[in-house]
Amino acid sequence: MAVGGWICLLAPLIGFLAIVLAGTRITRRQAGLISTGSVFVGFVGAVYAFIEALGRDPDDRVELTTAWTWFKAGDFEVGLELLIDPLSLVMMLIVTGIGGLIVAYSNGYMEGEDEERRYFAYMAFFVFAMLMLVQGGNLLLLLVGWGLVGLASYLLIGFYHDRRSAVEAAKKAFIVNALGDAIMALGFFLLIFHVNSLDFGVVFDAAESGELSDTVATLAALGLLGGAVAKSAQIPFHTWLPDAMEGPTPVSALIHAATMVTAGVYLICRTSPVFEAAPEVQHLAAILGLVTLLVAGVVALVQWDIKRVIAYSTMSQIGYMFVGAGIGAYGFAMFHLFTHAFFKALLFLTAGVIIHRLDGEQDIRKMGGLRGSMPYTHKTFLIGSLALVGIPIFAGFWSKDAILASALADGGALGWTLYVGGLLGALLTGMYTFRLYFIVFHGKPAEEPHGQDEHAHHGEGSRWMLAPVGVLAFGATFAGLLQIPGVWEPFEKWLEPVVEPLVTPTTAQEWGTSAIAVAIGSIGIFLAWRAFQADRELVPEGAVRRTLEHKLWFDEVYDAVFARPVQAVAVRLRDQVETPVVQGGLDEVADGTLDAAGFAARAQSGLLRTYALAITVAVSILALVFIVVR
Amino acid sequence: MLGPDVPWYLVISAILFAIGISGVLLRRSPLIVLLSLEIMLNAANLAFVGFSRAFGELDGQIFALAVMAVAASEVCVGLGLIVAMARRNLALDVDRFTELRG
Repeated sequence: MAVGGWICLLAPLIGFLAIVLAGTRITRRQAGLISTGSVFVGFVGAVYAFIEALGRDPDDRVELTTAWTWFKAGDFEVGLELLIDPLSLVMMLIVTGIGGLIVAYSNGYMEGEDEERRYFAYMAFFVFAMLMLVQGGNLLLLLVGWGLVGLASYLLIGFYHDRRSAVEAAKKAFIVNALGDAIMALGFFLLIFHVNSLDFGVVFDAAESGELSDTVATLAALGLLGGAVAKSAQIPFHTWLPDAMEGPTPVSALIHAATMVTAGVYLICRTSPVFEAAPEVQHLAAILGLVTLLVAGVVALVQWDIKRVIAYSTMSQIGYMFVGAGIGAYGFAMFHLFTHAFFKALLFLTAGVIIHRLDGEQDIRKMGGLRGSMPYTHKTFLIGSLALVGIPIFAGFWSKDAILASALADGGALGWTLYVGGLLGALLTGMYTFRLYFIVFHGKPAEEPHGQDEHAHHGEGSRWMLAPVGVLAFGATFAGLLQIPGVWEPFEKWLEPVVEPLVTPTTAQEWGTSAIAVAIGSIGIFLAWRAFQADRELVPEGAVRRTLEHKLWFDEVYDAVFARPVQAVAVRLRDQVETPVVQGGLDEVADGTLDAAGFAARAQSGLLRTYALAITVAVSILALVFIVVR
Repeated sequence: MLGPDVPWYLVISAILFAIGISGVLLRRSPLIVLLSLEIMLNAANLAFVGFSRAFGELDGQIFALAVMAVAASEVCVGLGLIVAMARRNLALDVDRFTELRG
């Protein structure tokens, strides 16, 4: 297993380094192939490790390999170690598998862009960073991966660096993520202080045995949650995700499906013992997930940018995963992460096909009637949408409903709130997803891009783009069948040795919830269809709509509360402290030194006899002093 | 002990040293300055030998020998410099060499 793990981790890194070092000696096409190839080699490594793990006893599937001791400080020691277990294997397969498809797709999408080589180097690096995160054998390596993922997302979101909005979005993503990283690091400091280790095993033992006091466990869990919330774009750290749509579309797909935003869910599942030692924090995660899934759902109702609608749907779906992880249904949260990876990558990549075809147009008001001209894209997008809404047999059906059923099984005020809220979210999902679908694919055909634009004449897109879309459409249709309540549940069984779920819904609960959720989702679709037929918006004009269009004023509030005061303080400090005191003080020192030097230089007359006299006088004085003092 | 007491030697040594210093400080010809330096060195030698006699040990005399060797080499270098200066038709005046002025 270790061999596969190392191959999986290192292949994308080698691909990245190869592209960087080769520079302009390779063509753009070769850079794309190296990047794609390296990620797929990683996938092969992951599959190899997976098969090896399958052949083992369920309790023997955890392997920790240490390459060397990374650093030592006193008796605190951190090794460069990988942890290969069922949980990280699932993530490795998703990251390299879906990621590989997205990188392959980029070969078609980025064709003819400037700086393709840089793009492909970053893509490979992004995959490496995410693998580092999920394979890291202790919390510190996890944090390393965590930070590298933030860096990679910064580089890719700001890929179009000549576009101001892209650069600003990249900075925003980086700053919000850095905030999360810092909060997480604080949690780690606390753990080091109390258990003197960042090894998963040691920390978890301490959490499970109650060695950590309640306060410590709560604070540590809060630290982890802070990091998870920022990386997974949950309220209140979600503002960077919609803006991150400034990056190229495959980057959005990569961020949303395979890497980055899923990290928070992974973290909660991975460190579940810490969260279980602080149940309030775990419930807080579920509540944040619920709030996010509802807020993102309503905001998605009024967006006009095709990628932003999908971005909000990601936030919403990650919200479901947080709900699942928050009530302890880790297996289902991971399962939803798994199916979501397929259909969200599918939606983004089909959106990319459309955008590519329409020559960069992202406004859905300028689309419409694409069903006729892009039948393949239409079918695959429909599959993605159905999977997102959770219509049977598509993937989202199996996973989302399982989370809701777990909320029901959890019971109590919290469980019921989550259950009802989740169902409401299903309604919203149906509405915004199919609003998008109808506007883009039905109705009056939009004007085709005029002119002899270079993309238009090879059908819906190049084979590089359409093939990965096909694979993902297949996955989005059938990936959910890995887990059928009451019939077979290999996915959950697979994860059980690592993360024991806290709640397990009965088969009746699962199927009952499914029926309700599908009904509600269908109502959402129906509402979207009615609104589309009547040619009106789902949310009428007015204060509510304006609020939604401003994304509930989150950006404005953060601007007023954090950005502006900081700016004001910074300006004051510059004008009143830096310029007069720091800069002025340095100027004074420099001037004083010059003056003193000029004065001292006058003593150096160059007259030999003066020097001799000075020596004589000085020695005489010294001699006198010695004689007198003695 | 034969001859005058040690203080006498020291007095003469001091007088010689003062003469040497005056020469170095007051004269401008490099040649004279070198001569004056020699006088100072020999004043020191006289003091060495005087003390050596007073304490009945040979250390002082050995030192005096070393000083003579230093003085000889110093004269070699110094006279060499002066000859070089004279050959270049430079003025033989220590006050004219002020290139190291700050």
